Amino acid sequence: MFKLNLKIALRNLWRNIGITSINVGGLAVALAAFMLLMMYFTYETSFDKKNPNFDNIYIVGRTFPDFKTNYTPPPFGKAIKENFSEVVAVGKMKKGGFELAVSSHTSTVFTKQQLFVEYEAAKMFNIIPEGGLKKPNGNEFLYYLSKPYMQTLFPNKKDTKPEMVSIGSRSAEQFGEVRGSIVPDSHSNISFDAVSIVNEIGTGESYGHPNYFTYIQVKPGTDIASLELKINNLYHSELTKNGMVDEGEDVTETNAFLDPLKNQHLKPKAGSDANYKVLIALSVLGFLILVIACINFTNLSIAQAAKRAKEVGVKKVMGAYRFQLTIQFLIEILMQCLVATVLGLIIAEIVLPKFNSLFLVHLSIWNKENGLIWQLPVILLFITLIAGIYPAMVLSGFKPAAVLKGNFQTSRQSYWLRNSLLVVQFSIAVIFITGLLIINSQLKYMRTQDVGFNPEQVVYVKNLVYYTKPEVFAPVREKIMKIPGVKAVTVANAIPDGSGMGGNGYTVEGKQHSLSFLDVDYDYFETLNIKLKEGRAFSTSFQADAVNSAILNEAAVAKYGIQNPIGKTIRGCNIDYTIVGVINDLKAEGFEKAVEPTIYAINNPCGNPKTEIMVKVDEQRMAEVLAILKSQWSDINKRDGDNFRYHFLDELYGKLFAKQEQLQSVFFAAALLTIFIAILGLFAFAKYITNGRIKEIAVRKILGANDLQIFKLINTSFFVMVMIANLISWPLAYILTKKWLETFAYRIEIPILPFVLSALITIMLTIITVTIQANRAVRANPVDALKYE
Amino acid sequence: MIKIENLEKVYKTEEIETTALNGINLHVKEGEFVSIMGPSGCGKSTLLNVMGLLDKPESGSYKFIDTELLTLNDRERSNFRKRNMGFVFQNFNLIDELTVFENIELPLIYNKVPAGERKKLVNEIIGRMNIVNRSGHFPQQLSGGQQQRVAVARALVTKPKLVLADEPTGNLDSTHGNEVMELLCELNETGTTIVMVTHSSHDASFSNRIINLKDGHVISEKINKGKTEELI
Repeated sequence: MFKLNLKIALRNLWRNIGITSINVGGLAVALAAFMLLMMYFTYETSFDKKNPNFDNIYIVGRTFPDFKTNYTPPPFGKAIKENFSEVVAVGKMKKGGFELAVSSHTSTVFTKQQLFVEYEAAKMFNIIPEGGLKKPNGNEFLYYLSKPYMQTLFPNKKDTKPEMVSIGSRSAEQFGEVRGSIVPDSHSNISFDAVSIVNEIGTGESYGHPNYFTYIQVKPGTDIASLELKINNLYHSELTKNGMVDEGEDVTETNAFLDPLKNQHLKPKAGSDANYKVLIALSVLGFLILVIACINFTNLSIAQAAKRAKEVGVKKVMGAYRFQLTIQFLIEILMQCLVATVLGLIIAEIVLPKFNSLFLVHLSIWNKENGLIWQLPVILLFITLIAGIYPAMVLSGFKPAAVLKGNFQTSRQSYWLRNSLLVVQFSIAVIFITGLLIINSQLKYMRTQDVGFNPEQVVYVKNLVYYTKPEVFAPVREKIMKIPGVKAVTVANAIPDGSGMGGNGYTVEGKQHSLSFLDVDYDYFETLNIKLKEGRAFSTSFQADAVNSAILNEAAVAKYGIQNPIGKTIRGCNIDYTIVGVINDLKAEGFEKAVEPTIYAINNPCGNPKTEIMVKVDEQRMAEVLAILKSQWSDINKRDGDNFRYHFLDELYGKLFAKQEQLQSVFFAAALLTIFIAILGLFAFAKYITNGRIKEIAVRKILGANDLQIFKLINTSFFVMVMIANLISWPLAYILTKKWLETFAYRIEIPILPFVLSALITIMLTIITVTIQANRAVRANPVDALKYE
Repeated sequence: MIKIENLEKVYKTEEIETTALNGINLHVKEGEFVSIMGPSGCGKSTLLNVMGLLDKPESGSYKFIDTELLTLNDRERSNFRKRNMGFVFQNFNLIDELTVFENIELPLIYNKVPAGERKKLVNEIIGRMNIVNRSGHFPQQLSGGQQQRVAVARALVTKPKLVLADEPTGNLDSTHGNEVMELLCELNETGTTIVMVTHSSHDASFSNRIINLKDGHVISEKINKGKTEELI
């Protein structure tokens, strides 16, 4: 009997190949989206999960009145280990701040994420170099490089002996020993490309040096809440004991907390849980798409039910039980779902590279760790039941006496169900279309707005030498300026790429506020083409500029409410600065944050070292200038001139838009997918409705209705449904996009056009889809339709 | 073989109630060929559906060789039907996705007849129905007469005690119609009981007894003498 049922099923599917393809194809596309999002979910939620101590590792963090941080002072870890027996291990880590050149005789690599790790922490996190984890002797540093770097430096190395490398500029003649290579686990919270394993870091540093990450490993089953309380009490007593609490200061203003390792990637206490929220939103989206696709499948199957009614009737007459028929239809749908799953896998595989580059991950369908092996069968059963149970019940429930005479109708209730479903589908589609259009508008605004400076044609050159004093940088500037095509050169302690600035307290006319400071050199404003509002830029003609001149931005002037600021004094870092100029605000941190009130000065003893060299180049001569800079760099920048490395500033600044561009892509895909699924659902529904109205159409035609009138007749109800969907979605889309726009300090007003456009798009697509379906019924000879009676 | 007593069937919609069968009494002997006639809406198809256990009456009794059928549940009705009854419909009701052979084989499958036995039985009946060279065809590739032969073959392949035919010639021209009627007669001559619903007096003339229905009542019963004498 199975063979015969299979034959019926296959022949049936083949005969309705169009509908079958749409049905299976639609499900496959939704499944592909779901599988990708599920793989992403599994990946994002399983950082460090392979670590056998995963559930017992916690990071120690600290809470201040207005922020939380994971940076802790080094003696604290030691104190924890000594005081609490339930803590079995404590390990500290520290990030290296610089991009460092590491050179062998033949080549050079640049380590971007140097990590200092205590031996205990390395054990805790399975940071194991090739050849095994060795315990350092005394104060020994065991330095390892990531495997690709090691292969670049020593391509022919076969043995496991240590190698000597130069670290930093070769001219600095600093050498070190690389013990070997290590393959960092890319699926861990601890990421690095070079690691130094030591017995203890931060020795001799006090509670005033909170620059370390402290990880603890507790005994399984430890009461974390009580341990956290004890650790917090210890923290307070240590602060007091070490003289870290000033008179009148309340020691309980800062507290220590424990945060489990499993929270570190997505929702660390000291940090943002935005990624977690995004992940949940994406998962809900994936699940919604799948469920909607399943229900669509149901709709299409039921729309096809008429064709199977006779088969059901005949089989029942011959003695088939309803149960047998239900199973038969479920198996048929299982087969279709199986095909959809395989197709979905193929689609997912095709889309994966794009997905990976969008979400900056390296997912693979063939990776056993992604969980697909057990998830796929579960999904298959789930969608078969969701998509199949209703059609199977409807089909197997046909009354033979009626269907064999050609009468069958599904109930009024299912009609309502499907109407509502269609409205829901279109509502979701409208939200995504409107959202996409509004995101587009905001991005367009961000790209076309004046950001207050011009990052184009500015080359940012990487450098480790401190050019804090203008006289030290002067010869470098002089040499660079000699290159034909160079328009301006400067150095500063930060580049405008959203990386943030330092802050300090400054006083004007007795009013003290905290300002961001940016330490610059001559020609900073010229290089970045920043417009002056009042006064002048720094100039070598004014000797005081290198001592105590300052330039404020508009926001700073506004903060103090200074009238006629030029010539007034602003005091900070024990210097009385004279304000010589005011510049327009520049959106160096993008559009999300409001421009910080900022002071620009050449001399700032409280500031950070100036290392960031920027060169403004003539548009026509960029290639030429870069070539000359490269060839002369070792001469220009004698102390760090081995390697000329640069970025284009506009590209770095553009990265501030990356998150929004990612969102734009996700919305684009979601809008396409939801509208595609909605149209599929509509297609099925329109087919069902027109099939049910063939007789009515025939009668109307015989009574003289023309084609247009009939199209109008069939389209009207769908038009109403899509309008309802739009009406439901508009306020929702408005609220959601308003919320999103509120994350920007600089944003557009919500335009009306996206709402009108999404209504037009959905209505157009609806009319086209329904008309295609109705066309068949309209073209049919009315006599044929009535002959069925 | 069949004893129907006081059978009542009412169709209800939201607004109206239609009495399709109103106290029907009917006895059919084994080996009889009974025609049920009457105007449209008189209840003859409903009666046939009730006899075929495809529809349930409100009240009454339906005994088939001393078994009361109206008290059976769905599963028992299915089982009883597949063992004892064969159906022939006006619009053939062959499954379009199955070949002639497979269509005829279907009831045997539901009766759990082993594959070898099935093949033998199907080939036998195909031979009898004179459709041997059509056994691999799909229904759409056959003429109406041929399709009805297949439908008759399908009804007979399980050797049912009772064949129920609902306007078996309604969709056929007179030549093919006569062929089908002759087939039913031959079948009847081999001992199968047949109950047929028809509009056509010509078709009815092939049967032993003609029952006339009107508004759900049996209004007359006529013995077809020529045929009955033959039977005797």
